[in-house]
Amino acid sequence: MTSTVDEHGQHETAYGHPGPPRRRGLLMRPGWIRALWVTALFFFIGMYIVVTIRWIAGWDPVYEWEYIVLVAGMVAAPIGFLTGIGTFDYWLYWISGRPTVPDDHANHGAYKWTDYFKVNTDHKVIGIQYLVTTFFFFLVGGFLAMLFRAELAQPGMQFFDTQTFNGLVSAHATLMIFVFVIPAFAGLANFAVPLMLGAPDMAFPRLNALSFWMLPIAGVMFAASFLAPGGAFATGWTSYAPLASEQPFGQVFFNMGVQWAGASSIATALNFLVTIITMRAPGMTFWRMPLLVWANFTTSLLVVIATPFIAGSQFFVMFDRVMHTSFFTPDNGGYVLGYQHIFWFYSHPAVYIMILPGFGIISEIISVMSRKPIFGYRLMAISLLGILVLGFSVWAHHMFVAGMADWLRVPMMISTLLIAVPTGVKVFSWLATLWEGKIHLNTPMLFALGFVSMFVIGGLSGIYLAAVPIDIHASDTYFIVAHIHYVLFGGSVFTIFAGIYYWFPKMTGRMYNERLGKLHFWLTFVAFNVTFFPMHWVGLVGMPRRVADYAGTFGALNMVVSIASFALGASVAIFAYNIITSWVRGPVAGSNPWRAMTIEWQVSSPPPVFNFDEIPQVVGGPYEYGVPGAKHAVLRGGALQEAHV
Amino acid sequence: MIRRAAVVKMVVVAAIAALIATLVAVLIDWLPDSASEEMDRITFVYWFATIICIGIFALVVAVIVEAVWAFRVQPDDDTDGPPIHGHTGLEVAWTVVPAILVIAIGVVSAVVLSKNADAGSNPLTIKVFAQQFAWRFDYAGGVQSDELVMPVHRSVRFEMDSPDVIHSLWIPEMGQKQDVVPGTVQKIVITPTRTGRFRLICTELCGLGHSTMRAPVRVLEQPAFDKWLEKQSSARGGSAGGGSAGGGGAQVGKKTFASAGCGGCHAFEPAGTDAEIGPSLDNLAADAEKAGKPLPDYIRESIVNPNAYVVPSYKSGVMPTTFGETLKPEELDGLVVFLSGKGAE
Repeated sequence: MTSTVDEHGQHETAYGHPGPPRRRGLLMRPGWIRALWVTALFFFIGMYIVVTIRWIAGWDPVYEWEYIVLVAGMVAAPIGFLTGIGTFDYWLYWISGRPTVPDDHANHGAYKWTDYFKVNTDHKVIGIQYLVTTFFFFLVGGFLAMLFRAELAQPGMQFFDTQTFNGLVSAHATLMIFVFVIPAFAGLANFAVPLMLGAPDMAFPRLNALSFWMLPIAGVMFAASFLAPGGAFATGWTSYAPLASEQPFGQVFFNMGVQWAGASSIATALNFLVTIITMRAPGMTFWRMPLLVWANFTTSLLVVIATPFIAGSQFFVMFDRVMHTSFFTPDNGGYVLGYQHIFWFYSHPAVYIMILPGFGIISEIISVMSRKPIFGYRLMAISLLGILVLGFSVWAHHMFVAGMADWLRVPMMISTLLIAVPTGVKVFSWLATLWEGKIHLNTPMLFALGFVSMFVIGGLSGIYLAAVPIDIHASDTYFIVAHIHYVLFGGSVFTIFAGIYYWFPKMTGRMYNERLGKLHFWLTFVAFNVTFFPMHWVGLVGMPRRVADYAGTFGALNMVVSIASFALGASVAIFAYNIITSWVRGPVAGSNPWRAMTIEWQVSSPPPVFNFDEIPQVVGGPYEYGVPGAKHAVLRGGALQEAHV
Repeated sequence: MIRRAAVVKMVVVAAIAALIATLVAVLIDWLPDSASEEMDRITFVYWFATIICIGIFALVVAVIVEAVWAFRVQPDDDTDGPPIHGHTGLEVAWTVVPAILVIAIGVVSAVVLSKNADAGSNPLTIKVFAQQFAWRFDYAGGVQSDELVMPVHRSVRFEMDSPDVIHSLWIPEMGQKQDVVPGTVQKIVITPTRTGRFRLICTELCGLGHSTMRAPVRVLEQPAFDKWLEKQSSARGGSAGGGSAGGGGAQVGKKTFASAGCGGCHAFEPAGTDAEIGPSLDNLAADAEKAGKPLPDYIRESIVNPNAYVVPSYKSGVMPTTFGETLKPEELDGLVVFLSGKGAE
């Protein structure tokens, strides 16, 4: 205990007297101005490395823009940006032996809105930075979806040529997956997990900041591909070889963007793992961790193990193109299907990366809003681990029609079907938690229940797709599009909305507007179903996915789908309005509006810069609702005593 | 007691949900009218899974609806529910029962899968050649066609190859689907059960012209099929004989135009195509002038090395660059004659 007091004392002193600041000029100070010129500088360095090599080798033309954009624009300039904005400052000082500013956390906390645009090492600030950034890319990705739904409203070609259409579809999926769903969960967890563990911050706050700042690089790269000659990458988010190595230059923006998003993802996951393993408050055993923490623990394991595979697959596809290697081309001994095996070895676990944190969020909300302990806590945690293990043995179910070895189909089908078991355990346990509870039907709970029902539909269509004969008929049709949107929108996005509403009072200290929240839910729920449910039918009766033009018989339903998709887009405007106005002038929320037991609700809203004046002592399970006198944690000094009655 | 009443109501809600789900499943034709034995078996697996899924769906809906109905409280209610932490019997049940159900689906699927891969003792073999963005079907005896013609009630074994990227063969009414992977020969079996016209669709994104990569399919009675095959093979013999003689070049060209799938992307009036992916071939003379080449040389270069000159407002790198290797010399010569408009009549 004394050591924590010391630590706390140190923080306090350091924060009160931030070490002697060597005031640097505007150009040299970390921030956007330095980022601007260092990015430009690095771009020119990268460019002249390419030009010099080409000149020495005597290759013509010396100024070959594709290679310059690849090396200078997608590697050197982003490193320059990260350097300029200030993510490396501390490490560079330390490496070069210059006096580092003592760890005073001068970059902790956000006191005005402009602080969110600076490098910040506070997990709560980074969490909000993640959420706002990913929401921006959600809007961009949604806008692209509106564009191609406009094209699909009628058969025939109206607005775009087929290459542009393919580009819109591909960029939509890529933005949504890599710079919205995956990092939005990282943002929510960034905010909540250290607080839930009773830790003052993540284990590596500077690495945490670096992880965040790599993310916009990926998003900008995906979006910027529309400016490339030949248009955006147009091979779907799956980007199958060998098509991907023959497409116009926009494809490279995907290959490299994925590297930045993946690096960000891996760094964050390592950070979560170390934080969860080493920084739990005294008494916080693994079996007392909230299920959100369990979910992020398993997700982080998935990320760390799987993500290097997609990085490799994208590098190899790019090498096939720029260096004329033959990793995935049929000539010179390449292995075309190898791409799909490596890609799905990441991208199937990625499906769980995009849903397990959502499971965690829903477990928190359903327990708190039903005023009951979560049903079967240990089995809930074990089923997460079950999904983690099984998740690595099912990747080839994406390849039932791909022409892989025949014998692989049946084992992959069985393991895929078996994943329904731990997933079913979770669904049934949530339902049992509801039973006989005291159900508060507010916005987070509506989204939680909406999630359970939509995810069940997505899970059941997943049963059809796991059965190989049905999958052979349904794969690459709109049935797949329907299925992935039921699990990724009805699943993941609903949980993200639920989580944002749930922790909004903790993040901002203010309460969102309940009426607008409910309106948002119902509009989303109805528009979502009208948009995606008909896709099951058009797919099964014969409409393939990723086509700009289709048979006239599907015209009427596609018009309905397009109109509903615009309504779905409009529902996001209600959410944005609610969040922005409530953030600015919503009613003060109090520290624990939900009367929740987990530790983040036992401190003020928003929490103090270092979360706790004194490290909490954990004394029981996180969901002991209805147990007389039960407590999850004891806080002293600055903790709010009235928090739990 | 609230508990028993709630369970009874829940069973009623479950029955209603199951009824609605069953009506949705039965009243809407979710699958196309089957036209193959393989699709018949797929349809069987589909209904097997559907029955199980309706049960699970109804259960989940009933619990959610009934829980919200019976246990909802006002926002100012600050009491807690009963501290139930779990129930071992229930937890074992909802682990074991779903496991049994999904394994049953798995066993049925595995049996159907092996039956659907069995071509029987007397299959007809058709070689499929898929390239951006056209299909070609090769029959025994050297017959080539851009329309897929199959006899009814006989298993057809497809052997498929692609020179460029991955494509995928699917005829919705016949269920079976298989990617065509360059550098490998992929196999699939289809046994048509009724005559008629269908459409073959490429279902793997293969580039710019993916959504136009379709082919007509015809299923005939065996005698009609034999007659068709014979006619095709005699037509081929005739044109091969006349290929060297002047006027025949255009005939070879016309056939090649169809079999190589040029019409998938290009409009060309003499061939009756109107696609808009690539430049119209009705303006070849003007384009050749712009490129500064004599017309036959320009046509030949544009087929073999399409990126050498690209008509303004079209994109480079779209047309396959493999035609120089895949077309036979006489086919290439024929195309040049056909496209330059000489002897088209």
